[in-house]
Amino acid sequence: MIEIKGLAKAFAISKGNKLSDTEKQDVRYSEKAFHSVRDVSFTCGNGEVLGLLGPNGAGKTTTLRMLSTALKQDSGSVFINDIDVLQKPIQARKEIGFLSADTGLYGKLTAFENVAYFARLHGMKEAEIKSRIDELFTLLDMHNFANRRVDTMSTGMKQKTAIARAVVHSPKVVILDEPTTGLDIMTVQTVLDFIKSLKAQGTPVIFSTHHLDEVGALCDRVVVIDKGLSSFSGSLAEFKQLTPGGDLRQAFLAVIANQVQQGAA
Amino acid sequence: MWQVYFKELTELLRDKKTLIFVILLPILIFPVLFGIVGLVMATTTSKAMEEQHRYVIINEQQAPQFAEALFYHKNFKKVETTLSSEQELVAAIRNDEFDVALVIPADFASRKASVQQTEWQLIYNRSSQLDFMYNYFDEMLKTYTEELQRDTLSQLGVDPANLTAILKPVELTRVNTAEQRENIGESMGAILAYALVLLCLSGAMYPAVDMGAGEKERGTLETLLICPVSRTAIVLGKFLTVLTTALMTALITVVSLGVWGAIISAFADLSKVSEALASITVVDLVLMFSLLLPTAAIFAALLLAISIYARTFKEAQNYMSPLTILVIVPLMIAMAPGMELDVTTALIPLTNIALAIKELLKGTADYGLLALIFASTTALAGALIAFCVHWFQQEKVLFR
Repeated sequence: MIEIKGLAKAFAISKGNKLSDTEKQDVRYSEKAFHSVRDVSFTCGNGEVLGLLGPNGAGKTTTLRMLSTALKQDSGSVFINDIDVLQKPIQARKEIGFLSADTGLYGKLTAFENVAYFARLHGMKEAEIKSRIDELFTLLDMHNFANRRVDTMSTGMKQKTAIARAVVHSPKVVILDEPTTGLDIMTVQTVLDFIKSLKAQGTPVIFSTHHLDEVGALCDRVVVIDKGLSSFSGSLAEFKQLTPGGDLRQAFLAVIANQVQQGAA
Repeated sequence: MWQVYFKELTELLRDKKTLIFVILLPILIFPVLFGIVGLVMATTTSKAMEEQHRYVIINEQQAPQFAEALFYHKNFKKVETTLSSEQELVAAIRNDEFDVALVIPADFASRKASVQQTEWQLIYNRSSQLDFMYNYFDEMLKTYTEELQRDTLSQLGVDPANLTAILKPVELTRVNTAEQRENIGESMGAILAYALVLLCLSGAMYPAVDMGAGEKERGTLETLLICPVSRTAIVLGKFLTVLTTALMTALITVVSLGVWGAIISAFADLSKVSEALASITVVDLVLMFSLLLPTAAIFAALLLAISIYARTFKEAQNYMSPLTILVIVPLMIAMAPGMELDVTTALIPLTNIALAIKELLKGTADYGLLALIFASTTALAGALIAFCVHWFQQEKVLFR
């Protein structure tokens, strides 16, 4: 279970940087800071898949970084299975499997070595690591490139390795930042099937995406972030109801255009 | 921390650039450096020695014996001229009509007869680094003047056999109290320290860039930060890796120097050098390494902090370039003539290490001062490591 309430994060603006006219009109900019995330709240229960939508620069990645403990929030709270990430970040990290927008892999190491390294950082024992990696490599069809160095792999192979790396420690919560961007159709399907398998196991999954068809196919809940605010947070059905035809694209544009009120919590 | 350390080390060992900077460069730098310098010097010297200079001699009838000796010298070729004034001769040399002009005064013979000193003029271009011209003339003139002295003394009724004792009644000979090791340590010590410290820096530089800015650029840093490991452990793991490569570079350099030194001594007749090197004990080498340890730690912490701050590989390299100059300056100070290790210089970072290494090589190290250097360098390294750890906790640094 993931619970986020009133999350906010600002970044200081360097003294030498002058705001452009566009930035001056943007409510997120003040004289000294850029308020990347101003007020984001949502929940994602066990076995739910939550789609995080929003235009580029809306604050999705900053929100996910705070969720994953990479960044500390200025205000608000994040609870991962009742663990306050601000108070107990190390404990919270054990619960989280995070896949960043970059694959985040080491080019000079093989697929096996990359995954095993992160397993060790999560405190797993060697025997446990081997059996878990074998299980994941079978699930993601990775055995044929297990001993290949990452810098010689295709994008699809890298993404599979990154997914295996993110979940090697069997996390209770999985966060994926644009996991299907730039992938071929076959790899996208592997990623989507993997998300489905996590859902089936009762793992809450949050993933940010620009692909509304994936949201329609996978998500139970939808959150739209725009200009640092959670403009919509509700079920997929509630999201579809925002426009008469139930078209996801129209619903998204309607939220962004502020034509609808914030959905049910 | 150790997981991070071993992983970083594995990656570095698979990287060609690291292998070049940490292993290949230290192994090859001394033979290549000495080889190139030796070859250039030998070629230039041999070329200069074989060169034949065109000369003119003014009033040669005044000193026919000298003119004859010059004529038969293998490095000189006579050129006829009608010029006589200094300005004309200078202009002719500048126009490449000949290389050197010797002007003997027109009254030399009469002045010689009346036992008066005379001044001869040697006109040539002195810009060459290897000034053999003056040496040739000086040698010939020595022989010639000796003959003149003998003639004059004979005429005065003095036995020419006593010539040396009359001209130079006292000869000062020097007895050197310095051991061979001291001499070699004095001349080699500063250069060795310079090379060792700079190689420590270069050995640390590439891995530091890769482990900070490189991780940011590849997007792996964020993944690492969300692992259930403290940021202190992560940065210390990285620091230890950079430190290891810096020390490995220094160690390989010392071993390479020893091996190449032994090879050169075996082939060339350098028994004195071999004996001097053999007198350097294991304790001296351990002390040298002990001083390099905190020095390498200073570099590792400083470079890692810079790298963590930089957004990209290139940005990190740009920040690090001025650091090389900052390191060279105190090392150059240590190489300055008359620079000695004392309580003051023992507290100047890097200058103290260079001077201490020199003293260790000479075998004249003051162990109290060595302890002071070790303590001050370790304190500085500790402060920089603490800063690096603090730096790695800052969001504004990690997510610039």
